[in-house]
Amino acid sequence: MKDKIELLRRALTFFAKRPMTFMEVCGTHTVAIYRSGIRSLLPPGISLVSGPGCPVCVTDQGEIDAAIKLAGKGDLIFATYGDMLRVPGTKGSLQSLRAHGADVRVVRSADEALSLALKNPAKEVVFLGVGFETTAPSTAAVVIEAMDRGVENFSVLSFHKLVPPALRLLAESEELQVDGFLLPGHVSVVLGSEPYQFLPRDFDIACAIVGFEPLDIMEGLVELARQVSESDFKVSLLYARAVRPEGNAKAQGLMKEVFDKCDSKWRGLGPIERSGLKLKSDFARFDALLKFDLKIEDVPLPQGCKCGEVLMGKITPKECPLFSKQCRPDAPIGPCMVSSEGSCAACYKYDYRVM
Amino acid sequence: MFIEIKHGSGGRPTQELIKEILGIYRDQSVNDLEDCALIENGIGVTIDGFTVSPRFFPGGDIGKLAICGSTNDLAVRGVKPNYVAVSFLIEEGLPKEELFRAVDSAYRVSRELDVKFIAGDTKVLPKGQADGIYITCCALGQSVTDRPWGVNELSPGDVLVATGPIGQHGALIAALRYGLDVDKLESDCAPLWPLMEPLTKIPGVKCARDCTRGGLGTVLCEWAESASLGIEIEEDLVPLTQAVISLADVLGFDVLHLACEGTAVIAVDPDCLREVLSSLKEKAPLCAVIGKVTDEHPGIVGLKTSIGGMRVVDMPLGEMVPRIC
Repeated sequence: MKDKIELLRRALTFFAKRPMTFMEVCGTHTVAIYRSGIRSLLPPGISLVSGPGCPVCVTDQGEIDAAIKLAGKGDLIFATYGDMLRVPGTKGSLQSLRAHGADVRVVRSADEALSLALKNPAKEVVFLGVGFETTAPSTAAVVIEAMDRGVENFSVLSFHKLVPPALRLLAESEELQVDGFLLPGHVSVVLGSEPYQFLPRDFDIACAIVGFEPLDIMEGLVELARQVSESDFKVSLLYARAVRPEGNAKAQGLMKEVFDKCDSKWRGLGPIERSGLKLKSDFARFDALLKFDLKIEDVPLPQGCKCGEVLMGKITPKECPLFSKQCRPDAPIGPCMVSSEGSCAACYKYDYRVM
Repeated sequence: MFIEIKHGSGGRPTQELIKEILGIYRDQSVNDLEDCALIENGIGVTIDGFTVSPRFFPGGDIGKLAICGSTNDLAVRGVKPNYVAVSFLIEEGLPKEELFRAVDSAYRVSRELDVKFIAGDTKVLPKGQADGIYITCCALGQSVTDRPWGVNELSPGDVLVATGPIGQHGALIAALRYGLDVDKLESDCAPLWPLMEPLTKIPGVKCARDCTRGGLGTVLCEWAESASLGIEIEEDLVPLTQAVISLADVLGFDVLHLACEGTAVIAVDPDCLREVLSSLKEKAPLCAVIGKVTDEHPGIVGLKTSIGGMRVVDMPLGEMVPRIC
């Protein structure tokens, strides 16, 4: 493998005739890049910045507060993906609520949350639906199942978000100069390559859909550098073993059936039009926001927290004044430090200390 | 402040909690933080609590785990385990047959190791106040090395050997917990003394540790920090099974943080490496050199990745939870 990596590194050096900045959009890529030590192998002109691709990190503070408020209400089971446990709200986290007796359960899928509802018919079960096009279809499938089976004690707090509208915002941003996107592998399994075509077409941004192995990532970087140096902008699909150009029609259909697009607030990026998913009115009785009459408040970010700029790729984690000082994985201030896929946590864990 | 689940992860929050407890004992405790204390006349003592869900799993059960876990803490300090004292906390309503299956497998490992059961206790808690069975096991033994193995014996140049594939117990338990396929996974739960005993006669063996809670990564971080030395390992050299790699991949876990229950890392003088490996090979054919101790970057564990990059290895910072997608 080292030989192949060396070849790719040479190709990258060949194409990187001028400095280039590439953004990996997906949190799993962020971790893979840090974990494999790819940065230490890049030619000097290439810089990598992390984008808004960690579902935990982009969940708005107001949404997190609403989740914590609901989970702390008592007399219900609050089911969440593990990553959300430690995210600090304005007051406490789901984890600290659990230590105080709230019934917060970690589930690995929406399906498990529905099973909890079926096993505990006397209790309300709320599933915290976060994530992008990767997790939204399974939330949709579970809502349909709950409808078909007439489950009364199950609802979803849907904070799902969509990737392409966020990419459009980044592409339109004048402060941010990104030459290319490493597009998310898992999201693209669902979406295919079509929804990204506006990036090369309208913005001259290089794009490559890549897998998660170090070789995949290096290959993607070479392709991005090639597109830039030859001004041949397109969406290259380099993850053909998992992604079809048209995506997964069934998953897309599920999302369409259950969700409407809605405006959604992203941490760091602010409100983005039609970038969120809310339950359609046909499924309103599974909408936890309506069922429990919850409001999402406008909550300011913790003081000094620069997660927003990190998520926009404007600064690297190390450039945040709180990084590794007040904000550490064991005492996180912003969500980029909480999630295992957050760029600050990955940077702290794999890269921050000088060796 | 409240105790949270992260305080039980084996990583940094656990360390901090232990330090705080020992702070109270200031003048009434020994100062080294090894898993087994050496007291008068070379007697080694350790104590360990066991809770595992599920209680019976491929490769072992809570009874076997209790005896292996506690005697392994002695074995990795070059102490021959001789005695165990065991306390059972049992939940009301537990099928008696389950308790005795666990006791029986504890007995079988004890017999294999020639370890005597010298004291015990049982308590029954009202239903719901415990989860099945908790076992606390105190193991005692006799040090048989010329110099006790321990972190303060480490020096730059020492070679690190793993006795087998890492992370197997942790991967299995995570798979069971998150309802994943466990076909090819099995816990490595096993007594280490049969492996360690021949090594006690080799003078160049410096330090050993069973890589339990927190995994190999945590052990190496503890070594680097408490010895103020650097450690370097190579990703490609760390023995792993494909099943563990896949499981860690699916859940987004670092294999270096997955627990082992019968696998140790050993630091040896390079001059006696060959002797150590040939002694291990017979019972642990998959043992492997994984890296070395260095005087560079003191306190930090570096990992050379498969593609030739470098990164830092850290302890887990709390409960390991699966990633979202």
